[in-house]
Amino acid sequence: FVSYQVEILDWKTKKQLCFLDKVEANATIREIRLMFHKLYPRWYPARQSIKLDPKGKSLRDEEILQHLPVGTTATLYFKDLGPQIGWTTVFLIEYTGPLFIYFLFYFRMPFVYGLDERFTSSPHPVVNLACICHSFHYIKRLIETLFVHRFSHGTMPLRNIVKNCLYYWGFAAWLAYYINHPLYTPPSYGKKQINFAVIMFLLCEAGNFSIHVALSDLRRNGSKTRKIPYPTKNPFTWLFFFVSCPNYTYEVGTWISFTIMTQCVPVGLFTLLCFIQMTIWAKDKHCTYLREFKDYPSLRMPIIPFLL
Amino acid sequence: MAASGSGGSRADNGYGSQQQQQPRRRKGPGALATAYLVIYNVVMTAGWLVIAVGLVRAYLAKGSYHNLYYSIEKPLKFFQTGALLEILHCAFGIVPSSVVLTAFQVMSRVFLTWAVTHSVKEVQTEDSVLLFVVAWTITEIIRYSFYTFSLLNHLPYLIKWARYTLFIVLYPMGVSGELLTIYAALPFVRQSGLYSISLPNKYNFSFDYYTFLILVMISYIPIFPQLYFHMLHQRRKVLSHTEEHKKSE
Repeated sequence: FVSYQVEILDWKTKKQLCFLDKVEANATIREIRLMFHKLYPRWYPARQSIKLDPKGKSLRDEEILQHLPVGTTATLYFKDLGPQIGWTTVFLIEYTGPLFIYFLFYFRMPFVYGLDERFTSSPHPVVNLACICHSFHYIKRLIETLFVHRFSHGTMPLRNIVKNCLYYWGFAAWLAYYINHPLYTPPSYGKKQINFAVIMFLLCEAGNFSIHVALSDLRRNGSKTRKIPYPTKNPFTWLFFFVSCPNYTYEVGTWISFTIMTQCVPVGLFTLLCFIQMTIWAKDKHCTYLREFKDYPSLRMPIIPFLL
Repeated sequence: MAASGSGGSRADNGYGSQQQQQPRRRKGPGALATAYLVIYNVVMTAGWLVIAVGLVRAYLAKGSYHNLYYSIEKPLKFFQTGALLEILHCAFGIVPSSVVLTAFQVMSRVFLTWAVTHSVKEVQTEDSVLLFVVAWTITEIIRYSFYTFSLLNHLPYLIKWARYTLFIVLYPMGVSGELLTIYAALPFVRQSGLYSISLPNKYNFSFDYYTFLILVMISYIPIFPQLYFHMLHQRRKVLSHTEEHKKSE
């Protein structure tokens, strides 16, 4: 039985950071990360990028040493990914913000619309409805983060959270400001417009949730490998016949319905930005699916059936 | 939103499928694109030369440097707006610059030309307008001729030197002219409520152009030093590189 020697070099300076003796042939990269962490306590495993090539991709935790294209003395390269934060933590912070920020405006805190309007309430029922829908949306997201999503990556760089929070929290404040403003004007087509929007909102939220559950079920046994998602008995998942990322499709639908409900330009702008961002993500995901699976259904488009 | 977009890096640097067909490392512009770019850059050089000549002639005719804006208003608008094409050049990959960076630079110029100078008629007589127009004119003549010669693989050192040196003066000069012009426009924007909308309205939206202009002015503070030092850094790289070449000959 052969034992390996592993030397780990800094990817930029090529300086030897550590030399591991008597490493088992069937050791995984996860185990090597743990060994490296023992020698360098501040570089916990999530922030270690271990690669075969200084400019190459990071090796996955599950990779086994003897299956890699290395000799019995393996040379690996290390790159510090910087402080990391767990995806679950990020989502919880990102989504709790808008939930509470919206309330600051809904309840008209004194510093928002001035002392004369403090703690007053709007005469328009649609304003109450909008608050319920907005809150429902973010509570649903929080529940999904805690109980439904299974993330393939454990962490993301810490600096992302500042950028993401500014975006989500900032927009929440901006649109909440106008919807709950004392001079807010209700939708032009009145009850018809609002009722249509509410129905669309509920359908899209149900659809989005169905897709998240379906995707989560693909990884029920804790595996991290990618599988092609297929429609299930749930009619909302039938969108999988036509698109790769129906969760994004439904999400855009939710925001469009919210725009119609509130008839508010900032909401429309936020919807547009969401659409652009999610189209980029959907196209990426779609390309990944096409690359990984030769038998990927050819009818599917990334985010909009037949179009985009 | 689902777990995507963690700042993904693309392992195939976007040229995946072409790597197998062509052994070249970088896909540059084809012959047709190069011809188009040469024509584009020649036309732009000529356009800004027209503006330069227009300024000189107007100065000589009037005897003073005040109110020269009116004599070059049309070519300035035409050729500065034409620069929007450069965003498409990047988007289609015939120019290797970043789309976002180019869009940002061109849009800021177009913004000053149309949304400030054209829209607020009262600032057109300000001397600060001449300050940035002169800075832009000299910069663009050098920049476009630089690109023209580069594409033809015959770049005179003088042009390269000019491009990477004159900015040291022209850049602060242009920025000063731009800031002073925006500042001069403020009272007139406040008075006329230009491009502003207030509540209540059926779009449930409000926009205060006055505040927006102030935010634009403030944004110069972090942006200008970064671009300036980036250019200085480029200068050291480009000009010292040429020096080494000359020494080894």
